[in-house]
Amino acid sequence: MNVLEVARILSGKLMTAADNAGSCEVRGAYCSDLLSDVMANSNESDLWITLQRHVNIVAVAHLKGLSGVVIVNGREPEAETTARAEAERIPIIVTALSAFEAAGILYGLGIRGRGSA
Amino acid sequence: MHPAGLVTAAVAAGLDAVAVCDHNSAENAGAVLRAARATGLTVIPGMEITSAEEVHILGLMPSLEAALELQSSVYRALPGRNDERAFGLQVIANEHAEVVGFNQRLLAGATTLTVEEVVAAIHRTNGLAVASHVDREGFGIIGQLGMIPPNLQLDALEVSPRTPLPEARARFLGEREFPLISASDAHEPKDVGRAVTYMRLEQASLPELRQALLGISGRMILGGGKTMEDLALHILDIVQNSVEAGSTVIEISIAEDPATDTLVIEVSDNGRGMDAESAARAVDPFFTTRATRRVGLGLALLGEAARAAGGELKLESRSGAGTRVSATFRHSHIDRAPLGDIETTIMVLMASHPDLLVRFRHSLGTLWYEIDTHELRAAGIDLWSPDGLGALRKAIRKGEADLQGAS
Repeated sequence: MNVLEVARILSGKLMTAADNAGSCEVRGAYCSDLLSDVMANSNESDLWITLQRHVNIVAVAHLKGLSGVVIVNGREPEAETTARAEAERIPIIVTALSAFEAAGILYGLGIRGRGSA
Repeated sequence: MHPAGLVTAAVAAGLDAVAVCDHNSAENAGAVLRAARATGLTVIPGMEITSAEEVHILGLMPSLEAALELQSSVYRALPGRNDERAFGLQVIANEHAEVVGFNQRLLAGATTLTVEEVVAAIHRTNGLAVASHVDREGFGIIGQLGMIPPNLQLDALEVSPRTPLPEARARFLGEREFPLISASDAHEPKDVGRAVTYMRLEQASLPELRQALLGISGRMILGGGKTMEDLALHILDIVQNSVEAGSTVIEISIAEDPATDTLVIEVSDNGRGMDAESAARAVDPFFTTRATRRVGLGLALLGEAARAAGGELKLESRSGAGTRVSATFRHSHIDRAPLGDIETTIMVLMASHPDLLVRFRHSLGTLWYEIDTHELRAAGIDLWSPDGLGALRKAIRKGEADLQGAS
């Protein structure tokens, strides 16, 4: 599954790197709202599900080689976040779903967590 | 930015004091202190500590030794190594802009200390614990925790340049009345001094700041804001002209009229005035007779601000007959600078010159309020005293609340 498909599945809006999203393969997923936790425990090519929308999420996604970021509860990324994500070619999806609902849907489609890094 | 660069920027911005607060580290503080020795700038060593909940808390320390002791506690609780690809080189520099090393710890990470443990660690080393940028969602205490924990012994809340103080007071002062400070959160030289806090102190030092936050022994926080933007601080700068011209009476008026979409600011004084030639040059940014100007370009900047908002600046003055400055703006213009904190303007003015007779009027449509220091004195309020300044502050807050409440 790639990030473009995830956007469709979650009825979400692809906010950045639309041209890249189709080639970002999702190998796993991680839910967390603490950046230090994501830095410690996520895996490369994980999809990150979070409610954080500030610019630092892009740095973390880039650092860990995540396939993309799903921002939940209909929260929109801050302007700086969008700009940085475009520059770094990191796809960000905004969904109206909650983190629980988004994770549940993806889990039901076979995406799995891969434990702590 | 490097230590000497920070000092240069702070001096150029006219600051009396600057606190250097790197993330989770104080290894550059010594160099900043040394770089500032030849100047009149006070440097407060400190750190911005990331709690386990990813709340940023500032530790403002009384000495370099205390800062380094706090640093030891932080380092013991800070896991991880830096990734230079993601977070860049963490340079340790000296006061000659030379690189002396690189910090290998993950300074961008979070400590394992809870917010209570961070505050306790700061207090154990005799520092002041200030919640960083409480108005920001990311890494702000309210953003991360949903609230300020009821018994957390914070010494102050810091507000970022994004939020004017009047709005911050309405949002963040509730059951617990924390002192609010406004700061630049500068990460590069150009941002140093873009937002400041004004205080009434004997001298710029941490023990004085501690007293000001507690409002004891006559020390006070007077206000703050964005120095080059807020109209309230432009007014403060213009009023300094009046003071230096020997004025004893100054009238300040701010008239906001949504019906005609205008904002008019007027400052009139009974100072020595200017002849026609000086008046013409007064709006030139390169002309000043002031020896004490440190912040802002006064009339030139105010003129720019007015024109940017579809308005203009008028200056009337005659030698020996005072001066009147009038700046008009289109109120709703997208480029109209924010008004900022008018309380700061009046408090800083009166704390600096308690003898002045100042008449201040702020109107919004048909509503208005006035502060007249002559009337305050007649009512027994002594503006030389902290109590008197406190009474002045209450009067301004009530006036502003009446204006805003009814709008």
